[in-house]
This record gives sequence, structure tokens and C-alpha cells, in this order.
Amino acid sequence: MPKQIAIYGKGGIGKSSTASNVAAACADEGYRVTIIGCDPKSDSSITLLQGRRIPTIMDLMREGIDIKEEDIVFKGYKGVKCLEIGGPEPGIGCAGRGIIVAISLLKKISRAIEDTDLVIYDVPGDIVCGGFVAPVKKGLVNEAYVLTSGEYMPLYAANNICKGLSRLEMTLNGVICNSRGALNEEKIVSEFAKEVGSQLLAFIPKDVLVQTCERDGYSVIEKAPDSQIAAVYRKLAKSIMGKREGKIPVPLDDSRLRELTRI
Amino acid sequence: MPVKKEKEPLIMHPRPSSIVAALYTLRDLDTDVVILHGPPGCSFKHARLLEEDGMRVVTTSLDETGFVFGGHDALVEVLEKVIERFNPRRIGIVGTCASMIIGEELHEAVTQVQPDVPVIEVDVHAGYRDNTKGVVMALESALASGIISEAEFERQKALLKEATLVEKRHGAASKEYLEPNRGDLKYKVAERLLELIKQGKKGLNILNAKKETAFMFADINLAVAQVAQKLGYGSNIVNMVNLDDNVGLPKNRRNAREIKDDLKEKGFEIHHIIGGLDEYPVAGNTADKIIGEKYSDYDFAVISGVPHALPMNNIKNMELFSVTNGPRQVIPLKEMGHTHVVVEIDLHPKTLGVSHIVESEFGATLREMVKDA
Repeated sequence: MPKQIAIYGKGGIGKSSTASNVAAACADEGYRVTIIGCDPKSDSSITLLQGRRIPTIMDLMREGIDIKEEDIVFKGYKGVKCLEIGGPEPGIGCAGRGIIVAISLLKKISRAIEDTDLVIYDVPGDIVCGGFVAPVKKGLVNEAYVLTSGEYMPLYAANNICKGLSRLEMTLNGVICNSRGALNEEKIVSEFAKEVGSQLLAFIPKDVLVQTCERDGYSVIEKAPDSQIAAVYRKLAKSIMGKREGKIPVPLDDSRLRELTRI
Repeated sequence: MPVKKEKEPLIMHPRPSSIVAALYTLRDLDTDVVILHGPPGCSFKHARLLEEDGMRVVTTSLDETGFVFGGHDALVEVLEKVIERFNPRRIGIVGTCASMIIGEELHEAVTQVQPDVPVIEVDVHAGYRDNTKGVVMALESALASGIISEAEFERQKALLKEATLVEKRHGAASKEYLEPNRGDLKYKVAERLLELIKQGKKGLNILNAKKETAFMFADINLAVAQVAQKLGYGSNIVNMVNLDDNVGLPKNRRNAREIKDDLKEKGFEIHHIIGGLDEYPVAGNTADKIIGEKYSDYDFAVISGVPHALPMNNIKNMELFSVTNGPRQVIPLKEMGHTHVVVEIDLHPKTLGVSHIVESEFGATLREMVKDA
């Protein structure tokens, strides 16, 4: 069975950047990788496809297409298979139901989630309803990672995600710090990880190179393979692909969380 | 290149629900209790009717709070209560539109409660164009829990595909809107039928009914045979019935046997078995073949149950008397060329919870009209 991971974290914290760079780094190592964007914005795979937007599962459904695997799976950087679930226009219909329907469809028609070494689910920042945990609930995810910075709000979101995971009896396999330049950031996130029963897997420093590459439609792995930041992603990718036991996280109470950010 | 599905034409009249179809299938699988996971009123009428058949149906009664906060705890609670109160040997859990849209996982409750009897979970809602989808989903789940064999599953699936086609061709899914219609007046139709019998015309008397509805439809065929006998023309009538008791799910076999026993006891001679009670979408083809070989020169045919599943090939020159229980089936039958169409209103509810033939209005009319002959 492939490694099936989901990356959670507050909206805007850098999940898609992390997911696509990890995907590219794993592809460099020779792994077969599939990335599934679950956000209605459908922007998870764009930097693996040289900035190209691919039709989403929901786009095709709306058009009444009889969806086949080849209609929704697109090969990106070094053969990474890219899929986007997509969703209805903001404010219309039910995006959560969209994810449920798409996941059921994927289970039925797609070999991309089976014949592969790593599947990355890039899930929306806010798990606002039942549909957004469909990949976990339908048994398609066996490892979860939380991405956060050392600031209070992203940590608050990360802690909330831990609550959700523990309710779903889902393991947390690691915390990743995407730095926003907060004071004592690495220490804070490392301590948070420890206290919820996990560990800090990587500290990704703030680097403008990530944004520059993204703007041009690339991951740093592809566009700036020799950069320092690329090395950080490679290390994280290696760490994710290595065998590690996860634990069901124990969320912190709010006062402890506040205290933690004051270290 | 992505291939666009052909856009299905709009159908505006209400049609059978896939949730209800799943419920009836669970009954055919001898499920003792079914939990409907959803709002209290969902599928109420059929849930109630199914209790007549001995299957209990309960609901998790999701309300606005449940829609917002999820219904997992309610499902666990009801599942536990069901086990304690009814001590069932087989449990079903059926989804509804509300619970499926909010992403309820039926299996989570089963994992938590760990009942020591089989649980058939059906993740169904009513948003499918063909209600047969609900049947297939229930059977898939039954297959996964080892309750039915792969062979039976495939057999059922093929039948359901045919059933869907039958409805598309000449049934409830054949038009954008079908006006309900009460059919022709029973005594007028009976009068004409008796006239033909008295003239010594030869007639086919065909039962092609869906599952338990045969408990009442068989009464029509029985009445036809009885009145012909009484008028001295019994030998002019050929009886064909879909009462093979060697095929189908347990309940369907049982019912076929019960109806056959009743018919035999009343002196009804079965000339041809054209299939089982779940084979109504294809039994018409068997009948068609037999008619083509032996009876193509007959003068009239009485067809009860699902008359529109009988191909017109070999009967188009006969005077056709069809009996249906669908007010929306009248117009399509007339358009096919059935001269007389009789509707047995509310037939289905009367065939639940029974093990003997139930008197029909048309049957009673026929008998009454030859009472003094």
C-alpha cells in the first residue's frame, strides 16, 4: 500500500507550497508520487505543472462528463500525477459534498491512488464540515501532518486540527514549521509538537525564492534545485518517506497554547 | 478527450425513491431491523408499510442540531437500543439525503458498537435518477457482508438493468411528464372480457408481477380462469405465471411458493412458468417466445402486474386487457396498444404482510358478473 498522507494547517500558511515541493523532492528520489488537491480553489498542483491549470473533477462533473481516469490525472514534474477536486463557485452549493463525491469516484476509477508510492492530499485549511475529512474517513489517508508557524493564530488552528484528528482517531505523524519570522519560532513549534505528542520534522525558513518560483509556476525543487531552501524540502521529503510511527495527538488547552507562544 | 455523457431528459413527475428501494431490498434479504439514519419523516409511508411485513424500521430522527453537528452519536444510541430491544439476527442501516450530504459515515457507528450480528450498511440517498440504484447498493453491501453470493448479485444486477430499461421504454421514466389516470371502468372492461370468453375466443392469461404485488395480481388471473371455467370455456384459456420458486432472494421464493400453492388449491392450472417473482423485467421475453411458438393465433390476452414488460411482437393482433397498479402506467400502456387498461389502486400496501392471495377489485367484478351464470 502506498504512503497516503494529508497535510493540514491554517489557511495561507503554505500547505500547497510545502506539498508541491515535497512531491517534487520525492519524485527526484525516484518515488512515484500522486498529489490530490482537495481545496475548491484548486491550486495545489499548479507549481508542478509549470503554472498550468488542469480541469478539476468537479468541473467535469458539472459539464456532465463521463469521468475517466485520463480526464482527471495529469503528469507534472518528473511524472508526479496531479489531480484537483475543485468545487462549486464560492457561496453556491456544497463544497463538502463535492469532496465526498470526488473521493468516492477516485476510489472507483483511479489507479493513481493505488499504483504509486506516495499520495499527498492537500486539504483546505479549515475543516468546516464533514466532507472535508472524507479522505480520512473513507480510509484514504494513513498519515497526517500539521503545518504551522510559531504565531498564535496558526498554532491555534494547528491545535484545533489536533482536536479533529484525535476525534477521528487519526494519528499525527509530524509537525512542520513554516517560518513567518516569529521570535523563538523553532523552539515554540518544537515545544508544541512535543506537547501534543508528536515531533518537529522540519523548520522551513522564510525564503522569498519560494514565492518567486511559484509566481513563475514552479517549485523550488525544479526551478532552484541547488538552493538552500530546496535542501530543506528534500530533507523533509526524506523524513516523510522514512518509516515513523504516528500517535493520536493530545490537543492543548487554550491557556497553555497562549503561554507557549510567549516563550 | 473527455466524453460528455448524453444528457438525460428531464422527468418531472415524482418517482420511486432509491432509499425506499434499499429498504425493500433489505426486507427481501430477511433483515430484522433497519435503522434509517436521517430525519424522522424520511420514507415514512414505506417504513410504516414494511412493518406490516415484519421488518422493523426505526429512525435516528436527525433534526436541525443533527444536521449541523453530525448524527454519529444518535446513530450509536439507536443501534445500541435496537440490539437491546429487538435482539435482531440481521440489522440494516440506510442513509438518507440529509445524512449523506453532511458526510455521515454509517460504518463508524458500527465500528464503535461492534454488534455480534451482521450489519448491512447502505450509503444511499434519493438523488439517483433510477431507484434501482438503491437496490444495487443494498445488494453490494449484502455481498460484502457475505449474505448473498457473487452469482446471485450478478443475477440481480442484470435484472435491475433490465427493469430500468423497461421503465425507460414504456414505464414511469418514459416521458417528461405523465398524467396519472385511473384507467378504464372495471365493469365495462369485465363486460367485454366476458363477452369474448362467451364467444369461445381463445385467451392468454398472463401473470408478470413484481415480487409481492403478485399476491393481488394473481387474483385477477385466478378470476379469469374461474369465470371461463364457469362459463364452460375453461379449456380456451392458457395460464402463464412468473412464479418460479427456485430463483431469487429468500422472500421472493417463499412468496412464489405460497401463491402457487393457493392457485393450485383453487384448481388453477399453471401451463407455463415464465420466470421468478424478481424476473418480471425479463419474464415477458420468455412469455413472448412461448406465444410465438404456440399461441400466436389467440384472440385476447389478460396481462397483470407489469404488462409493459411484455414485448408486443406476438400479441399485437390480440385484444389486450392489462392490469397495473400504477396510475402513471395507463397512458404508456394505451400508447403501446393495450385496448383495455385497468388500475388496481393502492394494490401494493395490501400485499404486505400477507401469505395468501388477496382479492382484487377487478377479480371481484368478474366473479360478481358471472355469479348467476
